[in-house]
Amino acid sequence: MTDWTITTLGGAIAGRQVSPVEVTRECLERIARLDAKIRSFITVDAEGALATARELEAELAAGLSRGPFHGVPLAYKDLCHVRGLPTSCGTATPEYFSAEHECTAVNRLREAGAVTLGKLNMTELALGPFGDNAHHGDVQNPWCPGHVAGGSSSGSAAAVAAGFALGALGSDTGGSIRLPAACCGVVGLKPTYGRVSRAGVMPLSWSLDHLGPLTRTVADAALLLGIIAGHDPRDATSSRRGVPYYERLLDTPVEGLRVGLPANYFFDGLDAAVDAAVRAAARILEGLGAEIVSVRVPDPRPVVDVSNVIARAESAAVHARIARERPHELQPAVRARLEVGFHLTAHDYLQALRLRTRYARAFVAEVFAEVDALLAPVIPEPAPALDAVKAGTVDEVVMRMGRFSRLTRPFNGLGLPALSVPCGFSEDGRPLALQVVGRPFDEATVLRLGHAYERATDWITRRPALA
Amino acid sequence: MLSFRPHTRMSEPGRRERVDVADLAAAIERLAADLALAEEPSGFTVVLESDPDMREQRD
Repeated sequence: MTDWTITTLGGAIAGRQVSPVEVTRECLERIARLDAKIRSFITVDAEGALATARELEAELAAGLSRGPFHGVPLAYKDLCHVRGLPTSCGTATPEYFSAEHECTAVNRLREAGAVTLGKLNMTELALGPFGDNAHHGDVQNPWCPGHVAGGSSSGSAAAVAAGFALGALGSDTGGSIRLPAACCGVVGLKPTYGRVSRAGVMPLSWSLDHLGPLTRTVADAALLLGIIAGHDPRDATSSRRGVPYYERLLDTPVEGLRVGLPANYFFDGLDAAVDAAVRAAARILEGLGAEIVSVRVPDPRPVVDVSNVIARAESAAVHARIARERPHELQPAVRARLEVGFHLTAHDYLQALRLRTRYARAFVAEVFAEVDALLAPVIPEPAPALDAVKAGTVDEVVMRMGRFSRLTRPFNGLGLPALSVPCGFSEDGRPLALQVVGRPFDEATVLRLGHAYERATDWITRRPALA
Repeated sequence: MLSFRPHTRMSEPGRRERVDVADLAAAIERLAADLALAEEPSGFTVVLESDPDMREQRD
């Protein structure tokens, strides 16, 4: 299981070299054997997954193939509504999160032939970047147990890194796809705001939420995005723009692309290993023909302030019921972050929304007049120890959360596509990552740069040593 | 007769929440000082949808 990617497995299934049932059984066996330590799943649907796999196998026997996802086992963050399975949103109260409709992205993957293995662990209510969870267990980093998997899509990244699923869906409001992808050494893509429907996904902050893939390779992320992207009548914010065949554009040479390394903010106060790995990645892209230039970007701090106001106000509105009725069941740091939103004024919230437009316009106009994409780190340090991030007062924990997501949060406020790609390891074996950011709806260029870098290095061939 | 639910706050804000709220409100007040009258939230999706590709102009 650990050697397949969606691309190679899809090809092997189509060529009848392996069967959907065989692959699904192998994933389920691996989950049963190893996930008690990793804690990446909240719900495993072994029966449902095997039933689907048998149906898909029968289709293949009848000469029918649904394409590259036919028979490929995937899993979904436990805030995506999946037909027949509970949704906990990482809390102890799944009864609060029922829905009439299945998540559109899950439904599109199901129609494309994917097998649903189950629902993945996450930070409670998606409010936190470390992946600790008092109700369902702290997700362990498969590379270094005792360290964070990143959050909030902690289970999504850990399950892919551990070889339990070939790919996963996560959501990203301030970095929640990219941070766990970076911590766990897998690929994670936050698409442009509006590129992927959020219908059927429990919101945290509807102005900042994005749904996207976590996979082993950039090519797999491109394939998965191609299925889930596109307009959805059930999500008014989803764009009507056409969806390119991202996977067909991956091998276009990066020669001639202008790629900016920010001279301000993004490299301030970084861990030395992270700094060195990202700059080394830039040199590799330069060697492939990209032009690396130093750029001064508009100060991201105002857009982070504005995003914080929007996120706090909207999350308090979304989760008012659980906060009112069962606050004692929420983890203290989660409760503290929700609480702030109840005391912000409508005036501040509305001004924040107006300001966001201004910053997005200025950033896009200034930066992308100069370069085609930006390179930046994702995490300011390799995955920290779980004990360290949970220690201290609630104030200290909340401060730590803000610092850890400071490099990803600006791109939620700006709505730009941002990809996390593995770019090495610290001396003690913790994954490092590179962030590639593009102009609105230019996921193709972001994926192309990530793919070129990935193919020029061997990071993705490494696997965590699980017992 | 209409009746309304009681307010939905979890509790009165503690010291840390009061500080956070005050900091965020101060940031918004500072940043919004020169917002033009026509700037409104729906402009955000317009910015994303109408971004012209600058590559040809740069070349």
